[in-house]
Amino acid sequence: MNEVTKIDGIGSSVRRTEDKKFLTGKGKYTDDINRPGQVQAYFLRSDVAHAKIKKIDVKDAQSAPGVVGVFTGDDIAADKVGGPICGWVVPCRDGSATKEPPHPLLAQGKVRFVGDAIAVVLAETAEQAKSGAELIEVDYEELSPVVDFENAGEGAQIHDEVPNNCYFDWELGDEKATADALSSAKKIVKLRVRNNRLVPNAMEPRCALAEFDNLDDSYTLHTTSQNPHLTRLVLAAFMFAIPESKLRVIAPDVGGGFGSKIYVYIEEAVCVWASKKVGRPVKWTADRTQAFLTDCHGRDHVNDVQLGLDENNKIVGLRVDTVCNLGAYLSAFSVVVPTYLHGTLLSGQYDIPAIYTNVKGMATNTVNVDAYRGAGRPEATYLLERTMETAAREVGMDPAEFRRINFIPKGAFPYQTQVALQYDIGDYEPHLDKAMEMIDYSNFEKRRAEAAKRGMYRGIGISSYIEACGLAPSAVVGALGGRVGQWESASVRVNPTGTISVFTGSHSHGQGHATTFAQIVADKLGIPMENVEVVHGDTDKTPFGMGSYGSRSLASGGSAISKAVDKIINKSKKIAAHLLEASEDDIDFKDGKFVVGGTDKEKAFGEIALAAYVPHNYPLETLEPGLEENAFYDPTNFVYPSGTHIAEVEVDPATGVVQVVDWAACDDFGNLVNPMIVEGQVHGGIAQGIGQALLEDAHYDENGQLLTASYMDYCMPRADDLPSFKVGYTTTPSTVNDLGVKGCGEAGAIASPPALINAVIDALSPLGVTDMSMPATPQKVWKAIQDSQSVAAE
Amino acid sequence: MYSTKYVKPNSTTEALEAIKSLGDGKFLAGGMTLIPTLKQRLASPDGLVDLSGCKLDSIAEEGETLKIGAMARHVSVAESAVVKKVIPALAKLADGIGDRQVRNRGTIGGSVANNDPSACYPSAVLALKATIHTNNRSIAADDFFTGMFETALEDDEIIESISFSKPTKANYVKFPNPASRYAMVGVFVAQFGDEVRVAVTGAGEGGVFRHQEMESVLSSNFSADSLSSVNIDSDGLISDLHASAEYRANLIKEMTKRAVV
Amino acid sequence: MEIKDSYELPLPKERVWAALNDEEFLKKSIPWCEKLERRSETELAAEVKLKIGPMSTRFIGSITLSDIDPPNGYTITGSGKGGIAGAASGSARVKLVETKDTSSTTLSYEVSAQVKGKIAQLGSRLIQSTAKKLSKNFFGSFVQQLEDINKSK
Repeated sequence: MNEVTKIDGIGSSVRRTEDKKFLTGKGKYTDDINRPGQVQAYFLRSDVAHAKIKKIDVKDAQSAPGVVGVFTGDDIAADKVGGPICGWVVPCRDGSATKEPPHPLLAQGKVRFVGDAIAVVLAETAEQAKSGAELIEVDYEELSPVVDFENAGEGAQIHDEVPNNCYFDWELGDEKATADALSSAKKIVKLRVRNNRLVPNAMEPRCALAEFDNLDDSYTLHTTSQNPHLTRLVLAAFMFAIPESKLRVIAPDVGGGFGSKIYVYIEEAVCVWASKKVGRPVKWTADRTQAFLTDCHGRDHVNDVQLGLDENNKIVGLRVDTVCNLGAYLSAFSVVVPTYLHGTLLSGQYDIPAIYTNVKGMATNTVNVDAYRGAGRPEATYLLERTMETAAREVGMDPAEFRRINFIPKGAFPYQTQVALQYDIGDYEPHLDKAMEMIDYSNFEKRRAEAAKRGMYRGIGISSYIEACGLAPSAVVGALGGRVGQWESASVRVNPTGTISVFTGSHSHGQGHATTFAQIVADKLGIPMENVEVVHGDTDKTPFGMGSYGSRSLASGGSAISKAVDKIINKSKKIAAHLLEASEDDIDFKDGKFVVGGTDKEKAFGEIALAAYVPHNYPLETLEPGLEENAFYDPTNFVYPSGTHIAEVEVDPATGVVQVVDWAACDDFGNLVNPMIVEGQVHGGIAQGIGQALLEDAHYDENGQLLTASYMDYCMPRADDLPSFKVGYTTTPSTVNDLGVKGCGEAGAIASPPALINAVIDALSPLGVTDMSMPATPQKVWKAIQDSQSVAAE
Repeated sequence: MYSTKYVKPNSTTEALEAIKSLGDGKFLAGGMTLIPTLKQRLASPDGLVDLSGCKLDSIAEEGETLKIGAMARHVSVAESAVVKKVIPALAKLADGIGDRQVRNRGTIGGSVANNDPSACYPSAVLALKATIHTNNRSIAADDFFTGMFETALEDDEIIESISFSKPTKANYVKFPNPASRYAMVGVFVAQFGDEVRVAVTGAGEGGVFRHQEMESVLSSNFSADSLSSVNIDSDGLISDLHASAEYRANLIKEMTKRAVV
Repeated sequence: MEIKDSYELPLPKERVWAALNDEEFLKKSIPWCEKLERRSETELAAEVKLKIGPMSTRFIGSITLSDIDPPNGYTITGSGKGGIAGAASGSARVKLVETKDTSSTTLSYEVSAQVKGKIAQLGSRLIQSTAKKLSKNFFGSFVQQLEDINKSK
């Protein structure tokens, strides 16, 4: 009886319990779900970037074979259905508010990007819907397209409500103090960097299936969402003006999101609306081309940076002027990404006494831009770490040492930055040291010389990043313009046999919550994790939750679960005290057993559970039967993962090909619940960052046509583009939550692009190359080498 | 895709009859280009005549040539013991086309008939002095490729097999487009005694072409070093998002150097 | 994307200019032209069935003439809608320069092309090569026709 059951608790690299179904093709995705009598929707989309719609003729489409209905923006407007809303706005420098133009579900009067939906055709089959759409005649009056976001202010006005195509002009920090600091600086390092535009490319394209029940006037929506409750809230409260109880949103297995499935898109809303209109379930599945054209894209910034240094090469001030492209309409988080998720990170890991930043968010005739893995923090890290590298070169210091002397010292925490955030804890030198050791930094020059003998240019590049995640203290979010709370919820139900059902407001679309969350519960209750099931993704089953994005699931969602389990333990102690005829204060809970201190009297957790549901011997007069607890957790601060990544590359001068030959990632994520899952997240993040730095680029031509709208031209990272990663950790547990955890989902994507570009520039530095934009494609690198040689020849 | 008729005949004779009866019909080989085009509704033929039942997939050494049936899949060529023995460079080329799924479906005849300017096979056909055997004639490689996506094939003509001359030495090196893995530049170098043929794919606006200057330089001195003096003209080379004509010109020389070993 | 070329024609400028305004000449020059009808002095309705590899799409649109400067040149613009494939347009600035003895003329052109929709999204690698090829076909066959007539005289 005294055998100790092996508990796969916190810190154990358990294999992911959800993988069996995914790896054997048994996942159940939205497109796998069908309802009797459903019709298929197809959206007719604009193939011009900017035009007035003079006329839409749907007559032929309406009578096409199999077509059940054809609707345009006017039909939806007649039912007074609102468009998607912006979830977070910021004040402008001149005191005005963010300009929020309407975003009709189907275009009304105007189309604003290639892919803008004009009409929806519903038919018995998807092919019939498509054929019907081909018969719709749209008469356009083409307008001059605005594509170059840096000069969007001079372009044709896209929205009546957005003068000069500027959604907002925002600032953060002390402009005067920064100007003073820069003017007194011994040296100012100037740099202009561009953060290339990316297409999220979730493995599963978006999909929606809406059904209206006319018996109780309610809707059910299956959709590819990272946060079903937010989707329900936005659809019910802001778009359809119906009680939330009349809309159930289910996000079943979702094949990746990377941010792109946070938002409510027009297609889901149109399906909901149309399901009532035609009285049949309505299903829509995007093909890959539609995903390229209409999923919110990521990044797309230009940053002008000025970094001031004193005579000891210590940073005295930083000014960053950013222009970013937000696309044709404001999406849910498109305003906060380049502002509060970007400007607040500009201190990085460094002690910078004065910082000022200005960000202009521009409208263009391209698809909306919103959060994509990292969301604002990769852009901040990229400009800062590129600048740190450039500064080190310009002052002739080793880039590692230059960072080291500017790090916030270990003893300075909690550290108040000049850009609003207060870092609770961190220790930056250990991860720099460890990453340098992992990659054998001190012998790098030997490797460079050896590569040179083979005719290759070898380079090394560092990136020391910080991120703020675990969104977040609701009060802070609210004060900064956020329109939602940022807590997370959990409900923990103990079943009569002692097994556990965890209902979480977080949503898993690849992160491995079923495993990680079960480990937390198993660890705290001392029960096998097989006894814990994790339920998520259904507004009828789970408590109101904020969903998964911004590396918040463990820090926020995990903490909520932990709190609920604490409540279970507290109640269980009361039950145990009764059963063991002891005082509650004398009950200790350890290894799944409630023990009367100093005795051998004990009750197993399962016995307590049974007693709670079969309360024959139970303190019913003071305690309710049953064992189920809810918790809402609202953090007191962000959590601040940090780390150092070092990339090593070889450049083939004959072709310009950059080969990533080594990678050391040393991250401080606080305590790790499942190190294997964390390592997977780090690998995935770095892969995405390498994709951004070397391969990926969403390219619109001057007419607003997306030329990289398929895998023929949009280059995703593949296994053979990646080295074997060396992954290590340092640990400063977060002081914000009881688990001491931070977040790891985005770190790799945040850290890696500057490390890689710094390495490429280092490789080419013997040729005099000092800059390289992303993606560093073979052609671009080859051209830089050619240009440097022609300069040398002059 | 639009719905269309589908027939799968058992011989080329039946296939020819089928295509005549269809009006605007299309032969379907591996379908690696045709099927995606149909799915995108960028073509709407009256019907498809699937050639996979026509027994055109044999691979055999025939005297001084290696004869490969038009419907041989890339994977079959890549793994064929005969191909590996007689012209290993051809097996290497087949093994580098697309991805595993494409290699399992795509065929040599389909690739050659389609003559995509970035396809790998046309370079081998041209460099290896191949002869294209159709249902009614034999066409020399030098007369076969007539322009981007254009060949000497008549509308209702089926490639049955391709015979490759056995080279003394041959090699294929490609620089893949990072996204699609099509050849951004692919160079097939084949040596037949004193004669050297260099065929370049992925780079020419008119599709695959032979590079006479490199051929003559290599004929007199078969070494990578001898190519250093050759100037590759970028005129007439493809320029797209991924590679300018100048960059492609550089790659042609570089890939050729790497092919000459 | 700019495409340029020129041809020498053993004909006086007036003769070449007349051909540039003759719809029969134009019809025979436009690759895969299935229909060409004059709507006005400067506009013709056109239908072209364009085949590139396995893609086969009918473009319905127009040919318009602008910047007309007789007999020195004009801009000829073809634009058409290809249904689900998207739309395409190409514009050629044509210039005629006569030799001093008026016996021959240099026809030079500069083409710019634009594509929209699916063709742009899926076929970007082929846009420039195709535009170049179509311009070459158009001007090549235009020049050929003139030369043939000239020879047969």
